[in-house]
Amino acid sequence: MSSTEFDIKINGRTCTASKGETVFEVAAREGISIPTLCHDTRLEPAGACRVCLVEVEGQRRLEPGCAWKVSEGMEITTESDRIERHRKVLYGLYLADHDLDGEGLPVETANGNQLRELAQKTKPLALHSVDAPRVGRPEDVNPYIAFEPDLCILCARCTRYCDEVEAVNAITLANRGSETTIATAGMRGLLDTTCELCGGCIDTCPTGALIEKKSPDPLPADAKTVRSTCNFCGVGCQLDLHVVGTNGTSRVAKVTSPPPGETVNDGNLCIKGRFAYDFIHHEDRITEPLIRGEDGELHPATWDEAITAAAEGIGRVKEKYGADALGFVSSSRCTGEENYLMQKISRAVYGTNNIHQCSAT
Amino acid sequence: MQKKGAQRERILHLLEEEGGVTEDVVRRISLETGVPEADIWGTGLFYTLVSKPGKRVRVCDGLSCRIKGSDELFSKLRDAGKECEPVSCLGQCDRAPATLDEDLEQVCYGVEARGIVPDDPELPMNLGGPVRDSYSSLAKARETGSDAVIAEIEAAKLQGRGGAGFPAHIKWKGVRGQKETERYVICNADEAEPGTFKDREIILRQPHLLLEGLAIAAYAVEAKDICIYIRGEFTSERRMIEKALEAASEKISDFTWTIYNGHGAYICGEETALIESMEGKRGMPRLKPPYPTEYGFRGKPTLMHNVETAACVPAIVERGGEWFKDLGKTEPGTKLYCVSGHVNKPGVFELPLGVTLDELVEVAGGYDGEPVAFSPGGPSSGFLPISRRDVPLDFGHLSKEGSMLGSAGLVVLNDSVDMAKATGWQLDFFERESCGQCAPCRIGTRYLRRQVDSFIGEGDPDALEFAEDVGWEMEEGSICGLGMVAAKPLESAMKYFPEAFGSRSKQ
Repeated sequence: MSSTEFDIKINGRTCTASKGETVFEVAAREGISIPTLCHDTRLEPAGACRVCLVEVEGQRRLEPGCAWKVSEGMEITTESDRIERHRKVLYGLYLADHDLDGEGLPVETANGNQLRELAQKTKPLALHSVDAPRVGRPEDVNPYIAFEPDLCILCARCTRYCDEVEAVNAITLANRGSETTIATAGMRGLLDTTCELCGGCIDTCPTGALIEKKSPDPLPADAKTVRSTCNFCGVGCQLDLHVVGTNGTSRVAKVTSPPPGETVNDGNLCIKGRFAYDFIHHEDRITEPLIRGEDGELHPATWDEAITAAAEGIGRVKEKYGADALGFVSSSRCTGEENYLMQKISRAVYGTNNIHQCSAT
Repeated sequence: MQKKGAQRERILHLLEEEGGVTEDVVRRISLETGVPEADIWGTGLFYTLVSKPGKRVRVCDGLSCRIKGSDELFSKLRDAGKECEPVSCLGQCDRAPATLDEDLEQVCYGVEARGIVPDDPELPMNLGGPVRDSYSSLAKARETGSDAVIAEIEAAKLQGRGGAGFPAHIKWKGVRGQKETERYVICNADEAEPGTFKDREIILRQPHLLLEGLAIAAYAVEAKDICIYIRGEFTSERRMIEKALEAASEKISDFTWTIYNGHGAYICGEETALIESMEGKRGMPRLKPPYPTEYGFRGKPTLMHNVETAACVPAIVERGGEWFKDLGKTEPGTKLYCVSGHVNKPGVFELPLGVTLDELVEVAGGYDGEPVAFSPGGPSSGFLPISRRDVPLDFGHLSKEGSMLGSAGLVVLNDSVDMAKATGWQLDFFERESCGQCAPCRIGTRYLRRQVDSFIGEGDPDALEFAEDVGWEMEEGSICGLGMVAAKPLESAMKYFPEAFGSRSKQ
């Protein structure tokens, strides 16, 4: 144990903790699960959903585990009759303000619904609907992001994400009390705001109040997840391709990021990575090398044949007109390493400094 | 996230100047301040005084005004062609029903029946006495030094008069002990707890007492900046402060004084919501800890006091903490009690802390009709039955009763009032003023109000089956004090007036 470490107790179990850590962080390391709706490790803790309230010895009130800083000797309780009652009534209140299915549970959405999962674990108090006057933006014609106010729990993950992670500030909490909603300036469509359509708000939304217009329904249970690397630029963001259908007819129906903390993109994607996957199945997409023949038509070829044909063509130009008659243009979709190799071919193999990359200007 | 160079603190002031939120206004302010449009939009829509453009008459629908016919007045004004909007308590309960005209100036439709304790130099605030503007206590404080001043405050056992009753000296010591030297003293003049109108009277009658108290506090905690956050509806009170600042400028010029307007949100009386509002944000309370004494305005140590707390300070410094402490009956000092509702002479009365209801109402001209209930400190304190009339009106005793002294805005109800309806009015207030940040309060206040409405309409007590559970969760689970107490009116009314919540005929 280093000098900044100390012991605390969670549910009677001794855990090592460090100064500055929250109850959540220690509990997660110890494998103790505390439910939450408004927490996202990429965001400052807001303590707004109140789902994660725990008992802290010596504190009169229940305190939010996501934000409460641990200190030496602290004793935390995450399961008790009091907490059970708290969850039961709190979930009941959430359900009274939520779109429910025939069984009285929060509806399942294309983006899941964590409130539904919580309500299945702890039976909520059955309360009359409060019929909150929360408005959406039904006129918003942007092609990607839809907001369903009856599924919103006002955890503000989306607005905080837009602010704290993307620094875009296209959306905001607006109005007050039960009228509070997620809004844009002037309630304009997202295309008329600073929104970059990264879709991070969809990703962080715990209840599916924000969903993809392109993929509005829950995926079938047999949908496969394929981890891939985004090829729109050289960052190397990891993607989870959600593939539906069987071999031959299988299609990518949705793209998400792996969870925060697992890959280089830390749960984030841009508009291209998240939404621009239609090209995969486009009929004009070139899926194999082609060589233009004497007849002027393109003919399928192997990679070896294609590379040989290109090398011969470039060689002929150099022979006839000299190396500086050649120019090499690389793409911003390539990685840094690939761009490096490209200039190496240009300079070392062919002997010209005519090397360019499309994002250099 | 604070954008570099953005002038967020200006946006609410600019929205006020521009006459309220419109798309064009928001765009202009965004260009001028560098604050994103959405943030300005979202912040503006939080505050009723700037959330929409245009002018309108505002009619108070606090408990005292409702029982004096504010609903009828509202209809009458609307029928006469006025654009009207209901507003939560205007702090004019002694002149109920209270109204503001289109320019937020007070209009008196009720009876001018203000009561005030007559001049008595022995009273620390002595609102009925001559204006006290010598600043001799400040001079004395400067002579004796910070430690001596804080020692007197501690000896006085002065409790915060904003509602919580927190010992003042602990805050003073807390701020003074911080390493950070940029510190703020903030005066919370966002008086908005329905039934409360004492801060208004201090500002109008003894404004220098307030300024002197704040200056002494700033001197003691070594702060240079003093901010006064005043309710946006208090236009004449703001003018009075400005006048007093000008008149006293020579004596208090070593501090930088700034007045901030509120913009129509009860929740901004909560200290951290008030700070958020000063920083140009939605008035949503922060999680505590950290407390403002450590991390307050602009993230700096901040001493915040209610108007009345600050106004007690000069007398304490002048005559000593022991003297002040001994003025109280059951707890230290005198207290400004606001009385309205069914009493003959509503007003503000400075009395020893711990008087009983009967003693207080005697000063306020006696009961009007047969009293059945009283609310000791605004809706946040719920209701008590008149049988509890002998409970000392102080922080400790009322807390033991499951109620609270709060800001001592007492409303007396006689037997003409339907307790279920009165409960509904109080719940209506909390629903409207909930900031919406956390679910227990946002959903709970609306749920309870709707269930009480449903009960009154249908007469079926089953509507209130889960009221206790919801109230319990609001108290346990809400972020701030508003949510914690918002179920009190219903909880207490059901406890003490069960007959009002039994089966009744449909309405």
